[in-house]
Amino acid sequence: MKIKRSSLRNAGLDIVGLAVTVCFLFPLYWIFISSLKTNAEIFRVDQTFWPTSVSFVAYVDQLKGELNIVRPFFNSLIIATGSMVLSMCLGIPAAYGLARFELYGKKSIIMSFLVTQMLPPTLILTPLYLIFARFGLINSYLSPVIADSTIAIPFIILFLRTYFIGLPKGLEDAARVDGCSRFGAFARIILPISTPGIVTALSFSFIFAWNDLIYAMTYMNETVMRPMTAGIYNFMSKYGIEWNRIMAYGVVLVLPVVIIFVVLQKYIIGGMTSGAVKG
Amino acid sequence: MKKILAILSGLLLVSFLVSAEPTEVKLWHYFSGPDAPWFEKVVSDFNASQTKVKVTSQMVPREELLKQYTIGLVGGNLPDIGMVDNPEHASFSAMGLFLDISDRMKGWEGDGKFFKGPWKSCVYQGKVYGIPHNSNCLALYYNTDMLKAAGVTPPTTWDELTAACKKLTKPGVYGLAICGIGNEEGTFQFLPWILSSGATVEKMDSPESIKSLTYLTDLIKKGYMSSEVINWTQADAEKQFATGRAAMMVNGPWNLSAVKTDAPSMNWNLTKIPKDKVYASVLGGENFGIIYNSKHANEAWEFLKYMSLPNVMESFAMAAGKFPPRSDVMNNSKYWKSDPLLKVFAEQMEFAMPRGPHPKWPEISSAIFTAYQESFTMTKSPTQALKDAQKKIDKALVK
Amino acid sequence: MSKAHVRNGEGLSGYFFVLPAVIFMVAFIGYPIIYNFVMSFQKVDIMTLKSATREFIGLANFREIFSAPELAISIGNTVMYTAGCLVIQFVIGFLLAVFFNLGFGFQEKLRGLMTVAWMIPSTVVALLFKFMLSPSSGIINYLLVATGVVKEPIGWLISQKTALWGVIFANSWIGIPFNMILLSTGLTSIPGELYESASIDGASSIRKFTSITVPLLKPAIYSVLVLGFIYTFKVFDLIYVMTNGGPVHATEVLSTYAYKLSFVMYRFSEGAAAANVLFVCLFVVGLGYLKLIREGEEIQS
Repeated sequence: MKIKRSSLRNAGLDIVGLAVTVCFLFPLYWIFISSLKTNAEIFRVDQTFWPTSVSFVAYVDQLKGELNIVRPFFNSLIIATGSMVLSMCLGIPAAYGLARFELYGKKSIIMSFLVTQMLPPTLILTPLYLIFARFGLINSYLSPVIADSTIAIPFIILFLRTYFIGLPKGLEDAARVDGCSRFGAFARIILPISTPGIVTALSFSFIFAWNDLIYAMTYMNETVMRPMTAGIYNFMSKYGIEWNRIMAYGVVLVLPVVIIFVVLQKYIIGGMTSGAVKG
Repeated sequence: MKKILAILSGLLLVSFLVSAEPTEVKLWHYFSGPDAPWFEKVVSDFNASQTKVKVTSQMVPREELLKQYTIGLVGGNLPDIGMVDNPEHASFSAMGLFLDISDRMKGWEGDGKFFKGPWKSCVYQGKVYGIPHNSNCLALYYNTDMLKAAGVTPPTTWDELTAACKKLTKPGVYGLAICGIGNEEGTFQFLPWILSSGATVEKMDSPESIKSLTYLTDLIKKGYMSSEVINWTQADAEKQFATGRAAMMVNGPWNLSAVKTDAPSMNWNLTKIPKDKVYASVLGGENFGIIYNSKHANEAWEFLKYMSLPNVMESFAMAAGKFPPRSDVMNNSKYWKSDPLLKVFAEQMEFAMPRGPHPKWPEISSAIFTAYQESFTMTKSPTQALKDAQKKIDKALVK
Repeated sequence: MSKAHVRNGEGLSGYFFVLPAVIFMVAFIGYPIIYNFVMSFQKVDIMTLKSATREFIGLANFREIFSAPELAISIGNTVMYTAGCLVIQFVIGFLLAVFFNLGFGFQEKLRGLMTVAWMIPSTVVALLFKFMLSPSSGIINYLLVATGVVKEPIGWLISQKTALWGVIFANSWIGIPFNMILLSTGLTSIPGELYESASIDGASSIRKFTSITVPLLKPAIYSVLVLGFIYTFKVFDLIYVMTNGGPVHATEVLSTYAYKLSFVMYRFSEGAAAANVLFVCLFVVGLGYLKLIREGEEIQS
């Protein structure tokens, strides 16, 4: 801990820090501001840092027509929520099991979960395609949900396992004395007090699936089923290089992520530092 | 008597119920420009014209559509009717994507009425796998005001084109815009230059081919054409021209209405693509076929017949800026010969050369577009790029 | 799993917790990896993709991809891309971590705010940077020209020479906050007393940095570099959307090349072979990391 520092130094550093942050986050400002411009203004030789007249045309247009933004948005939501639920159902108990039990092959199991985080998606893309095709899952929400969960589950297990290990051992024993089964103790005692860890895991698994492009793009070819990331291609082929519309599309795609971030910032940074690998 | 009436009315009711449930036929297409609403109109007119079949159409971007067809053969998700770019039809026929409709030709009023070029693209190993829907080709669009201001006349030869570009290029304005993207669309735009010098697709490493590629590459080197052309689709080239960032562009008739909408006050006109030895153009256009495993092949065929009716084909082609692939429609109509702009395309249509048909065309095309992209980005010399392309073509043809 | 090892009911219920996830991962990760491995020795194209029996052709797929120049280009680009990203991310991330550790009022808030970049979907980052880097309407070229750094706008993603730098730039934007946060955590865990006693001993700032900060930060540095390597080496989305590997393979990396082999050219077995090459590279570096973690865990326990 620093004990004394002049308030002048403090203010100076605050200003420098602010400047650095503003410069670094300029791209986010730019995407937003460009979405409010007309295409004519974007292509003008002199760039403007604030639109000469704020125009919502880039947004309004995307609510109309066959290729509107509403359906892909909900597709993204369904896929991300689906993957989150599936990964939590499988991941949380497994994390607990690996934290609290002596299991044969435990080390190898943990190791192999670590290895899966290194896998390039292209490695399993074709085999998964064939599996999904065999079970008629191509063009169903289930295929990207399953594929995205293969990224989220190992993350949840590795992250929450460390979290569970950190909880005092005596907790469940007390519950078991009261006649709870092992699972009962887990559900009634451990889960409620693990909310911070679970919220972190939840938001990460949601974001992994929300951000996914390659799986959705490969396993969903029905235009109306595609989430926003994969839908961008249909969209671009319709509008070409109309940057204001593309940026508006981007704003809508980024918005949920930013909201989650703002609300859960503390948890998310905690998740990052635990050694999270982005999918 | 009462009984009979009851039975009759029952039958009527049944037939009414049956007819109230039209068979749904799924169709995929990639019309996404100004032509899209006109195609939608053909579909809705067809649906309104009868009660048995309801076509539901879906737009899938062109590159995406190719992927869907191919993996659809494995994954099983395919429509009943599919649109295909004519040079790629043969390869999909060879893969087994389309249903053989040779038997349906007998007694069909359209049989034998199509131009040879478009028709042959639907035929593979003597069997018919689809029906041509529209044809097109390319011409040179030029900004009349810019040309006048620079004191140039519309160029007719490569030398004149270079000279015109030199005078037209200034900060913020390029002399010429083309589409040089790395796919079939770019090959389509590149081939007229190859053919004009007397080269052929069979020999991409001939001195004539090298001359053509060198010519275009030099336009970029001299700054007359943007190096961004390697990313531009034809729609992007149109945007450049319409916003006054390019004084001339090579584009098709389907973008006539786009230029009119995007730049209502601009003065512009058309001429043939400037030539080296001969005027050359390449036949573009789309075909429709029935997918091999469609459960509604008969209903799908009803739509293909409807879409090919002389009046339907004519009104679509007129509205969407295309040419009818049926010779009788083309010859009976004055529209394409009298419209001052379309006339230019109509003249080019006469010598427009089809690509292929060849089941390996996608690989040949890939070798070609890789070559010009390598040259345009200065990765390889035109000679080296085309030599490598020829090797790939030879390899593809042997396989 | 041998029953003998399970001493009592406790052990069994442990499996009950773990097995569903393990079965899921075996089915949707383990099996596909093996399938992909087998496929790389078979002849699989669009005609044979669905058929049950396929011809084994030994190493022919590997021979085919290694004889084509594209694989060497992709490997070279992947290495360049990874190295470029790692250096830029690490250096800037480190500097920012040190800066945001100086102790001032907004440091927590500002540092936190910057991490948002790490969460933005790669698809959007790709489109955004493509837009910002474009020669005709991009803000970056505009600023470069306006400030007189360059005379003509640079076709960042259009030119062979600069395209790879364009994608490195975009990815670094995502990676910097990640490096910064992990290194910050490492920095705050260094006890302040160490620096104080070093000051008493009269050590210079540089000396304090090299003999206290760097050695104590080693674990954080390792994990940042290895995790960064894994994440960067397998890049797909960003490059696929930004340049699709172009112009003419200038930004082609192993994953985009493997993807193209499989889903653009439909040479599935060659795509599988290329993906395996990518996997082996990741695995070798990954193993080193796992060893590191294991050591860390042993120290912990």
